[in-house]
Amino acid sequence: MTVCIDLWAVGLGSVRAAPSADKNRVDAKYVIRFSPGAQYFPGTAPQGVGKPLHGVSDVIAAFEQQFPDTRVEVVNTPTNREYLVTQLSGGAAPDIVSVNVEDVWIDVQKQWYVPLDRFLEAPNPFVVAQGRPDAPGARQWWDMFRYQAVTRGKQAPDGGNYCLSLDMVETAIFYNQTFFAAHGLKPPQTWTEFIALLQQVKGTGQTPLVVNIDALADWGQDLLFDQLYYSLLPGIDLKQDAAREAYLQGYLDPDELAVLHGHGFFTARDPRYVEVWRLLHELAQYCNRDLSPSTDIVRAFVNQQAAMVWNGSWMVGRLLADRDLGFDWGVFYLPQLTKADSPYASGVPMCVIGGVGNQYEITNSALADTDSTLPFTTRIARSARLRRVVALLQFICLPENTAAIVNEFPGFIPNINGVPVRAELQPFEEILQRRYTTTKWVFTYDLRFTDILRRMLMLYLSDGTDLQDFLSWQERNVDTATANFIRRKHPDLPALEATWRRLAPVRAGYIGLPPDPKP
Amino acid sequence: MKSRPSDPLGRERLFANLRFSGGCYLIILPTLALLLTFIYLPVAWAFLKSFYAFEVGGTPHYVGLANYVEYLTQDPPTWLSVLNMFVITFFNVAVRMVFPLIIARLIYALPRERARYLYRLAFLIPIVVPAIAVQLLWSRMIFADYGLLNETLNLLGLGAWTRGWLSDPHTALAAILCIGFPFVGGFEVLIYYAGFANIPESVNEAATLEGCTGLSRFFRIELPLVLSQLKLIVILTIIGGVQYFESILVLTQGGPGFKTMVPGLWMYYNAFSFQRMGYACAIGVLLFVMILALTLLNLRYFRSTEDLQQGTA
Repeated sequence: MTVCIDLWAVGLGSVRAAPSADKNRVDAKYVIRFSPGAQYFPGTAPQGVGKPLHGVSDVIAAFEQQFPDTRVEVVNTPTNREYLVTQLSGGAAPDIVSVNVEDVWIDVQKQWYVPLDRFLEAPNPFVVAQGRPDAPGARQWWDMFRYQAVTRGKQAPDGGNYCLSLDMVETAIFYNQTFFAAHGLKPPQTWTEFIALLQQVKGTGQTPLVVNIDALADWGQDLLFDQLYYSLLPGIDLKQDAAREAYLQGYLDPDELAVLHGHGFFTARDPRYVEVWRLLHELAQYCNRDLSPSTDIVRAFVNQQAAMVWNGSWMVGRLLADRDLGFDWGVFYLPQLTKADSPYASGVPMCVIGGVGNQYEITNSALADTDSTLPFTTRIARSARLRRVVALLQFICLPENTAAIVNEFPGFIPNINGVPVRAELQPFEEILQRRYTTTKWVFTYDLRFTDILRRMLMLYLSDGTDLQDFLSWQERNVDTATANFIRRKHPDLPALEATWRRLAPVRAGYIGLPPDPKP
Repeated sequence: MKSRPSDPLGRERLFANLRFSGGCYLIILPTLALLLTFIYLPVAWAFLKSFYAFEVGGTPHYVGLANYVEYLTQDPPTWLSVLNMFVITFFNVAVRMVFPLIIARLIYALPRERARYLYRLAFLIPIVVPAIAVQLLWSRMIFADYGLLNETLNLLGLGAWTRGWLSDPHTALAAILCIGFPFVGGFEVLIYYAGFANIPESVNEAATLEGCTGLSRFFRIELPLVLSQLKLIVILTIIGGVQYFESILVLTQGGPGFKTMVPGLWMYYNAFSFQRMGYACAIGVLLFVMILALTLLNLRYFRSTEDLQQGTA
């Protein structure tokens, strides 16, 4: 594969360069529209508290100095799929967008996004220009990324990589240290202790834990799923792709989940699956009553109406910048399940549920200088504009530039080698050293699946329906989603079924497996 | 066949008419073109596409009536959402027929024109507040976990009654219905007031002479004379009720579960979130049919003032 690299105009980037004087020049050959995401948007304060950001605009100014024929427009765009779908279908999306790449996977066959593999597998020209042949990125752009497992785990089901993972994020329970000290409480080591802690806090009249439904449907489900299914992986991990296993360590892909579902998993007859929802319901008894996303959980925590909040590392900057915060705070990670909590507990520490934070994707707008009737790969190979857009991302990945953007406030952990992690984020960095999750359900199937899961889970957790009814909905939901997945993606089911049969002896010793409808 | 005598005057009149009407047609042509492009063509397009399965950016596949069959017989939220739509619509019709009418009548009864003007203005000003702002106020200040309602209940020692009003499956729909309390929209007040103001003075004088006053006068004289306004509000409310979903999207997204789902919102989700455009078009066509049927029923059975005056029903 030939990779075109613009080496000629590349020099060492300087992030503190003054913004170009002719910022609004109209004669630029390339006008790149860049949506850096709400977290890094210049001129805004993270979470609405603290000083306005300027990291992105500084880096862009330095880029424009190196490429006088290029102007970069920073645009603020929504991240919801409705926006993406309408903009991309109309060819009006920014050249670079910042969205969860799982929302991109669904549409990659429509050629709305540019696969980055050919660029990631080539040297980063800005590193090469620095004259350090051993520096990460001099051989392959890929080498610049610090968290290889999670970063490469963002590979789409079609095998392509569509996002640049600039930073990492992790979740934790933020707790009111002052409140804990006053009541003789301490962070828990096991799930049993965690529930006991929540009970104690509830006894004081405070809301123990504030969280919203997305956290429970996404993070909560996956963490508990991992806790209960991890020990089964040797017998149910049906895809033994050596290259991917090295990074994803037994991750269950949608096709594997579909085959397992056909064998009775993820149904009301699967005791582990039932257990996931029972445990979530148990947790929800100690959470805020209104789990809807519109509930301001951060406000409840900083106003000391709640003793704990389950949130991401992005909240660190907001808490540190809040001069009126009247208490000390700390973080702990969710503790593991033991056999006392569930007979199906794997007995391993909770895995990583966060991972990649800000993800940048290049849209088909970057190919605007090519004939749209040409094959997509030809357009990618011929587009000079695309190379300039890629160059912007390559430039951002220089350690000094990433540091200027990511480390401007304590919220995200840089994913570029050589960029220090801010001391305030040390606990989150430690969490990120853990094993990656077994699967991520809300990103596994289509959005209808996620929508029904989310809304029926909220109904169940709000006691609007019972476990049996919820499981009935969810089972039908998995049925429909797996059928749609198979219809759209045509996975190699016979090969997976063969592996299923081959692993039968491994499963023979397992307890609590669901009855197999097609043994 | 007898040849007609030449009629230069008639021809001139015809040309003059043509010139006049042609000019009129020319003036409305841009509007007509825009109407065709942005209203009628999309409707026709939606009707056609309702027979296809397709995503934005994907290739459509003809599926016949499959989208309709799925929506009417297989999709779990369908009938609950239709029921919710009827509840919301009929509630809105009821409150918009009553509360603004009472207020309009009270304003009409004020003796001084200046007072009537000030009250009309007072009820009209809230129209300029964007609906989304009102909904967010209710959602985040009144119904929130630590909002006005729950905190007031706590203050009154009624902590057991507190709840997540919009997230509790038992109260979510009722909470949505309560938004807008006391249900006195400036638009409806103005329409009803215009109806009262149009009642001829002779009718009022005759009623007074006959000793018809108070509630009797309201129900026997005035109400029949504002039936046209009531009919208009009912039709507009029904149309708005069947199409309604924006507020629910903002407030509950149709949840918890599907407790506050309405067909319009499910259509929106299918179109733009799930990318099932053909399916969403089928829902849209069914909503169109429903609105048409309800409007025709309304026109047929709801008598206006003119119907009463002409003695028709």
